[in-house]
Amino acid sequence: MKSHIKSALLATAMMTVAGGASAQGVGIEKIGLAVPNLQADFFNQIKLGVENYAASLGIEVITVDAKGDTNTQVSQVQDLLTQGIDAFIYIPAGAAAAAVPTRLARAEGIPVINVDREPEGEPGDTVIYGENVMSSYEVCSSIIERAGGAGKMVIIHGQKGTTPEQQRFEGCKMAIDENPDVELVAQQWTQMWSPDEGFSIGQNMLQAHPDIKMIFGQADGIAMGAAKAVEAAGLSEQIVVGGYDGDVAALESLARCDTPFVVTATQSTQAMGVLAVNSAIAVSKGASVPARQIPNAVLTDCDNAAQFVEKHP
Amino acid sequence: MSATSARPQESRRISDFISLGGATGPLIGLILLCAFLSIATDSFFSLRNFLNILDQVTVIGIIAVGMTFVILIAGIDLSVGSVLALAMMVLGYLNVEAGMPMGVAIPGALIVAAFAGFISGLVITEFKVPPFIATLAMMSIARGLASMITNGSQIIGFPPWFNMGAIIRYGGFLTMSVAVMLVVFALALLFQRYREGGRALYAIGGNSEVARLAGINVKRATVLVYTACATLSGLAGVLLAARLDAVQPTIGIAYELDAIAAVVIGGTSLSGGTGGIGGTIIGVLIIGVLRNGLNLLSVSPFLQAVIIGVVIVLAVAAETIKQRGN
Repeated sequence: MKSHIKSALLATAMMTVAGGASAQGVGIEKIGLAVPNLQADFFNQIKLGVENYAASLGIEVITVDAKGDTNTQVSQVQDLLTQGIDAFIYIPAGAAAAAVPTRLARAEGIPVINVDREPEGEPGDTVIYGENVMSSYEVCSSIIERAGGAGKMVIIHGQKGTTPEQQRFEGCKMAIDENPDVELVAQQWTQMWSPDEGFSIGQNMLQAHPDIKMIFGQADGIAMGAAKAVEAAGLSEQIVVGGYDGDVAALESLARCDTPFVVTATQSTQAMGVLAVNSAIAVSKGASVPARQIPNAVLTDCDNAAQFVEKHP
Repeated sequence: MSATSARPQESRRISDFISLGGATGPLIGLILLCAFLSIATDSFFSLRNFLNILDQVTVIGIIAVGMTFVILIAGIDLSVGSVLALAMMVLGYLNVEAGMPMGVAIPGALIVAAFAGFISGLVITEFKVPPFIATLAMMSIARGLASMITNGSQIIGFPPWFNMGAIIRYGGFLTMSVAVMLVVFALALLFQRYREGGRALYAIGGNSEVARLAGINVKRATVLVYTACATLSGLAGVLLAARLDAVQPTIGIAYELDAIAAVVIGGTSLSGGTGGIGGTIIGVLIIGVLRNGLNLLSVSPFLQAVIIGVVIVLAVAAETIKQRGN
């Protein structure tokens, strides 16, 4: 069935080339995708989502990786425009989301689809980003339930002041406030959302509060680091650890289900990629798309992790 | 090709050929690269794309000029990326937060950058700290100061003409930033060829003790070189702020490595005394054309990193083999 569609589309594309008009196809032949940093699994998953879905539609995708540098990204966007892309999917790099790539693409009159973030003062046609508050509420509710609805809890935050750090705390706090028997005894912040920080902070917290029953790490890396600290302290039976993001490594660990880390929220990164391509097609056809599109994260535990390892949502 | 000379008279004669002398290899490489890309892609060989490349190399090009002088005297400056960020944050603070006009904010940013270089130079000459360590320390200090200005967050809200200076191509050709880069290139070439100070740098890089005995004020020249390098980094920062229409303290990480790579690809020896601005300009263009071309060829980002590394090795190895042959 799929290959049937593919060949039909291919035929359409060839007709398009022959006829010199693209009214018959999806309206887009070439998409430029600018990602901040492919070393991060989150962005790599979005890239895979865009590329696989676009390939199934017969659309060519040109991906550029800014390696976290805003200036590099502006140069890369210039090069994308030189190649005559028909739509631009823009994931801003660096702490400052530059408005210039959007302006350059606007000057060419092509659709601009923002993913993850959008530059202040220069919005694209739509922005697609992960929901944080409700999903972290679900993760924390799940941890609390697994721990029997009562006891001491700690939170290991991401990088202080960033949007996901604040929103994931907000959601988790809602769950804690609903359970009066749960006591939040300590909070610490990491610099880089990393496993080694999760490990050392977790170790210090266990030293200070050996009787904690729940740990929420605001990213899977942090949570897995903290879970290692729990194992090292021999407290695996006593403590439940929750994470966030649904990184590939985390999903594999959940599927094995052999650590205190038992629940996370899997962000629909590949779905975001698909949504971005669909939005680009819609905008290029003149259809309206919502200014904000916010796919939910999926609560993931040992039972459903395996299916996400198979195919990331 | 050996421009290393303890005697100013000889270096004066040789220096006339220096600006391209060590760079014929890289120049041939650049031409071959352009020829290949013109054939392999249909979008490379166009005026618009060449103007894009000039846009894209502005920042690294200006930093590399300062870095060339530093490396010519057998030094190294690891702080350029951080000093660039510091200058950008000072610019943003003065213009946006303090509401001062650009006529004050830009000189302010350049003065702060120059001061950072001046301090590095003093630490190197007066306290005998190796340049690698002194500028490594400055890299950390300048980055920290840049982050302290806004407690880590970005500044936006420059006047509209500022960003336009980096985008609008006046007369269909030059953006303001590219024009500034070309002026810096021209001044640096002239300085290196025709000024006493430019020729003195080769003598210092060849053998600083002999240069001192020959009457060159090595300490003063060294401090000036680091000050100039930092000022140029600051200038690059101002242009980058215009290009991005925003400033942030985390910008410019690892730019020192790009600049050093451009200088070395251009035929300037890391041990000092040989090479020059002409080669560096070609080195900068090679890196710019390569990055641009790989993007136009839609080469996967992972493979791009590999190719750029291989080209750096090939360029330097070719130069070394050529010299050994001589």
